[in-house]
Amino acid sequence: MLINILLLILSIGIYASFGISNLIYILFSVVTTYVAARMIDGKRADTRPASTTENKNSRNSGKWILILTITINAGILIAIKILLFGQAKYNLLSTANIIAPIGISYYTLQVISYIVDVYKGKIEAEKNFFKYLLYVMYFPYLFIGPITRYEYMKEELFKKKKIKVQNIYNGTIRILWGLTKKFVIAGRVGILIGTIASDVSFYKGAYALLAMLLYSVQLYADFSGGIDIVIGGSKMLGINLKENFDSPYLSQSIKEFWRRWHIALSSWLKDYIYIPLGGNRCSKIRNKINVIITFVISGFWHGMNYLLWGLIHGLLVVYGKILKTKWKIVNIIITFLLVSILWSFFIWPDTLTSIQMIGSIFTNFNYAEMFSNFLNLGLNLANIIVLIISVIALIIFDIKKEKIITKIKNYKLEGKLAIIGTLALIVLIFGIYGIGFNVSEFIYSKF
Amino acid sequence: MKYLKPIIVIIIFILIFIFLNKLLSPKYMTDLVEGNMTYEYYNEEKNHEVIFIGDCEVYANFSPMVLYEEEGITSYIRGNSQQLIWQSYYMLKETLKYETPRVVVFNVNSMRYSQPVSEAYNRLAIDKMKWSKEKIDIIKASMTEEENFFSYVIPLLRYHSRFDKLTNEDFEYLFKTKNSMYNGFLINKNVKPVESLPTKRRLSSYKFEENCYDYLNKITKLCKENNIELVLIKAPSVYPYWYDEYQEQIQKYAKENNLDYYNFKEKVEEIGIDYNIDTYDGGLHLNLNGATKLSKYFSKILKEKYRLTDYREDEQISKIYNEKLERYNEAIK
Repeated sequence: MLINILLLILSIGIYASFGISNLIYILFSVVTTYVAARMIDGKRADTRPASTTENKNSRNSGKWILILTITINAGILIAIKILLFGQAKYNLLSTANIIAPIGISYYTLQVISYIVDVYKGKIEAEKNFFKYLLYVMYFPYLFIGPITRYEYMKEELFKKKKIKVQNIYNGTIRILWGLTKKFVIAGRVGILIGTIASDVSFYKGAYALLAMLLYSVQLYADFSGGIDIVIGGSKMLGINLKENFDSPYLSQSIKEFWRRWHIALSSWLKDYIYIPLGGNRCSKIRNKINVIITFVISGFWHGMNYLLWGLIHGLLVVYGKILKTKWKIVNIIITFLLVSILWSFFIWPDTLTSIQMIGSIFTNFNYAEMFSNFLNLGLNLANIIVLIISVIALIIFDIKKEKIITKIKNYKLEGKLAIIGTLALIVLIFGIYGIGFNVSEFIYSKF
Repeated sequence: MKYLKPIIVIIIFILIFIFLNKLLSPKYMTDLVEGNMTYEYYNEEKNHEVIFIGDCEVYANFSPMVLYEEEGITSYIRGNSQQLIWQSYYMLKETLKYETPRVVVFNVNSMRYSQPVSEAYNRLAIDKMKWSKEKIDIIKASMTEEENFFSYVIPLLRYHSRFDKLTNEDFEYLFKTKNSMYNGFLINKNVKPVESLPTKRRLSSYKFEENCYDYLNKITKLCKENNIELVLIKAPSVYPYWYDEYQEQIQKYAKENNLDYYNFKEKVEEIGIDYNIDTYDGGLHLNLNGATKLSKYFSKILKEKYRLTDYREDEQISKIYNEKLERYNEAIK
């Protein structure tokens, strides 16, 4: 109880520190969905013994409350995404600078999942406002996810928590592993990509391909590193969050990739977009359209710039079978290449430039030049070696994840302390941070 | 002994951490020796009658060895590159914990800087300062916006990226140090004549900022409280331009506070400085030749005006200074 009160105060405090206006947005979403859920639940309770017609009327009015609440909350998110796009692209509203409330993309999906689940009768509406507030505002996941469901979180957040020493050690290791990915790998790769993305007229062709491959590494290290910190921090408090990644770059198809990358978002899209659209309980054509719509919406969730990215992913999920070979390693490489090439929409500022950069891979054969110029892209040889070693470590970890985790869990205290000490020193020495570097922000906190 | 192994692991990592902090911190022994200026003072016998505080205009332009050779004055320069006035104040405050000189000489050039200038200069002045309240205060007063306090407490946070720039110096001077200065004086024998005179650029304001006056008042007060004669000086540097308005303000301040003020720019001919041969960087700083001339000139003033002891007649101190002179004379050959 005390931990939760502290967590709530801390969450509100941290969130408010990013600007009081942020607090207004999130409280609006919390209050509207809290009230709506209570109303929907109340109507259901009122009409339980009543006639079928009354039940139907009540369900109808519940439906309208649901639609209205979703429209308002999703509407704010959609409006902000459109305005941000307009502001960046056409310099609209130049006098009124639009700043998206931090974490809006995450908490909006959470409150929508909550209200829908209440409407469907999957969960009861939470009576205690502060419990619901904590579920939405729980600061570790508020900024980069993972997006969680109330059904799961109410158990984790409100169970009787006991601070266990083992959880502290395991949580610390997880946090440090996340920091290693973020500061040692993502920070380093970011320097190379920053150089390449800074001059589109010079850095194209082989450089563009290099940037795409590297961005795969950067985004994964950055995002999954952030999630490691969130999961590790929660673990220390005795709160178990679900995994958001499952070695995604070992996927053999784009369809599989989306089961293993940003799992919380994929699962949300499946449950609240894809299935309500009809899922696969419809004609084959309609099913394909449903998949594509779902992915376009996924693109929109990331921002208006990523609609085409979402569409292509949707098409690759639907028609990806044609790319599949009988060799596992080839499938993994093809999938990795496709995913990497499509990340180009996230590297360059607009869709057209991204397409041009993809095209340049096949038209500018400056591969020899790129290799000879590799050490002039912002990292010297020592740093390149650190990067290569750390990426290899990441790959090994992803391949042998289960084994490694079990082994570490079984280590004695001194073994765990040695891992904590080693990881801490690695982050401190090889991390990219300090004056001249700004890598404290996570890439996925801006979506 | 259930916790013996975990405790050993913790101790090992603490030792590795301390070792890496030392290894990755710059040693300032052969390159950027200015970074070791603050530290060299701690190895000194604390017997100085004159302490200089200020920026490069003190450590490049005055030679304590000449002051001793000429008039038997014992002196030390607690100067740093771009030492800002609040840094001068805290350096003086720290110095007074070790010794109480009879005269403090402050070069007023830093009155023109009211804001922290650069992290690099801060590091050169502060990194090797011993931990004390003065160090905490000097850090707080000096930090630029991009800096944070913890990186001074744990140098690894600042210098971790030096892992690929380590040289023999980092290993050689891991646990030892050497003096590059001569009582705070940094010898430079090069010659680069003044080729052009600075033009008077218009400034939006010529008035020294309030916070500079605040620190000057603090220095004045500190000296008065400790019965120390505070002497204000302006070194004879051609660059950067010393405005008449600056001169007037310092003159006024000195008069109001009953302090002596010497602007050596006005005494260049009397001192005998020739900017064709006496500067190593076109007029910013004097070279060894120029510093020797200026030190000889100033030694007379110090001796006559402030009745300082002639330590050449003190057996114990002259022994120390003769050894220093031997090293100095070897260096200036």
